[in-house]
Amino acid sequence: MEQILATTLRSAAPLVLVAMAGVFAFRAGIFHLGLEGLMITGAFTTVAVGDTTGSVELGILAAIGVCLLLSALYWWVIGPLGANVIIAGLGLTSIGLGGTAYALGAIFDVRGSLFTDVVLPRPVRGIADGAGVIIAEHSIFVWITPVIVLAAWVVLRRSRFGLRLAAVGEYPFAARSAGVNPSMIRLQALLIAGALCALGGAELSVGALRNFTENMTNGRGFIAFVAVIFGAWHPIGAAFAGLFFGFADAIGIQSQINITERVPREFVLMIPFVLTIFAVWLGGLWRRRSLEAEAGYAELREPDF
Amino acid sequence: MTSGLRRVVGTVALVLVSFLITALILRVSGYSVGEVFSGVIQGAITATGASTSSIRWAIPLLLIALGVVVGFRAGFFNIGGQGQFYVGACSALAISLGWREGPAGLVVLCGTLAAMLAGVLWSLFPGWLRVRFGTDEVLTTLMMSFIGALVLQYLTAGPMRNPQGTGQTAASERIPETFRLTGGSGVSTTVLLLVAGVTVLVWLVLERTRFGLTMTLVGRNATMARWQGINVRRVGLGAFALSGALAGLAGAVELYGPAARLVTGFSPEVGFTAVVVALVGLLNVWGTVIAAVFFGGLQSAILFLPIVTDLPPPALVLLHGMVAFLVTIKFRAVRRRRAAQAEAPAG
Repeated sequence: MEQILATTLRSAAPLVLVAMAGVFAFRAGIFHLGLEGLMITGAFTTVAVGDTTGSVELGILAAIGVCLLLSALYWWVIGPLGANVIIAGLGLTSIGLGGTAYALGAIFDVRGSLFTDVVLPRPVRGIADGAGVIIAEHSIFVWITPVIVLAAWVVLRRSRFGLRLAAVGEYPFAARSAGVNPSMIRLQALLIAGALCALGGAELSVGALRNFTENMTNGRGFIAFVAVIFGAWHPIGAAFAGLFFGFADAIGIQSQINITERVPREFVLMIPFVLTIFAVWLGGLWRRRSLEAEAGYAELREPDF
Repeated sequence: MTSGLRRVVGTVALVLVSFLITALILRVSGYSVGEVFSGVIQGAITATGASTSSIRWAIPLLLIALGVVVGFRAGFFNIGGQGQFYVGACSALAISLGWREGPAGLVVLCGTLAAMLAGVLWSLFPGWLRVRFGTDEVLTTLMMSFIGALVLQYLTAGPMRNPQGTGQTAASERIPETFRLTGGSGVSTTVLLLVAGVTVLVWLVLERTRFGLTMTLVGRNATMARWQGINVRRVGLGAFALSGALAGLAGAVELYGPAARLVTGFSPEVGFTAVVVALVGLLNVWGTVIAAVFFGGLQSAILFLPIVTDLPPPALVLLHGMVAFLVTIKFRAVRRRRAAQAEAPAG
């Protein structure tokens, strides 16, 4: 049981970090399906730069830099150039997945996995039994994830930027008449999202593990997106959804180890997707009720009218 | 027609830009672009068996992309082709393995119909949610796609796993050779005729039937269509069903053609690439045919490239991503259509 809870925290941390990215994008009215691509780019850049320079901090800074650049390009394509948000987002995901696997072969001349010695610090270590196992051996990012969630909540709820973001996402027309430039607010939201994806990816590659593997995100970016929808695009809600999916993942891993488990692992893995369909359905019913939100819905699909 | 011409030129230009950016990335990372280019030409066209292989990869892309085109025509965005393709292939496999002794023609026919039916169901559920409750179909089809991939994974690792199978990846047993429509090359007259027939049929449905016309009207402006007495829900369901049937059919063609057995996570990119194909083909049937052959050629080339250069195959995924990232730029007609639709949801 302690082991399952520890695995839950470890699986949930990257999901929650990327879900926060999704929350910022969603609040700005963007269905960000490029999260997966940014996440794997963050995971790869951290390992690539971290391993080359021998410094995990440099690796993470580089990862944030690359993800900011990609996010700015994404904004440019879907904003000023008017590309379709969904397609360009999926394209960004393919660029991330294909680009990192390509770079792995082209730069490091390996296929599959790149192992590294750099690793994030782990504040609590060396507890082998009892309830302490739950908190032991987690990277620093697992510890700061709750802080980031709270910070996201404060920013979205209490800051000037958060209120403007809400206005842009819900009713850009009103935001524009109040003198806010929706396009710039979206850019800022996407940049925040990019940085958070870099952190989530880094946690995956040098926090929980010590390597980068092709396609190692394995749909986690999409699951994080799902957590945003399921958490009703609220940071706390999305964080709990991420935690729940982390738990489902932990049970999946456990049932894989324990062969006698009755429920096949694939069915456990389906849970997030089934729940999302349910959540999207419910959200759709809800949204129909209010006219303002209807406008926001239109904007969600077409941010630049 | 000038606006149509402008769209063609614009799309071709964007595809070229994607290629140039990718070529630049290859150049910077130390590959000779000329060598890779000549490898691509060989792998797609000139090498032995290359053009056959290009067609083999174009077939599933074309069928799934036609489904995307049909959905788009009615204003719906079915990006779940991958899952519909998988469940289609799984259903055909279940029929073929369960009824091994049956007459080959009948089994293949039943398997193909089952595949189409499975694709229809997989697409009709999100479609029903869309027309009945206004549930966003982009997300639900994507989620159904992930679920479909897990269904395939479950079946190939569990109930349908080949007990004699060795190796790391889970795979099913092979279907009897008599059921197959092609050899390992994946191309035969039967399959080519089938695909050509289906393509012409889709074109006829879209351009020459009442159903096609009403779909276009619904896609352009659902509110207007409703006022004109069109049953928008029924047309929407029809579009989703046809779209899913095409992706399911692609699954059956894959199984009875080149695959002969199912491996977990096979052709993982085909669903997404098909969306790119449909967009590059400007959501037009003949444009999609051209785009499918083009991307099929690239797929074939990337499998050939290791022979002439050590370019890592994920470069293709990168290229597809680049095209998808850029190709919808200034895609004004569809954008406006979708915006109009979101203002007044169907139903």
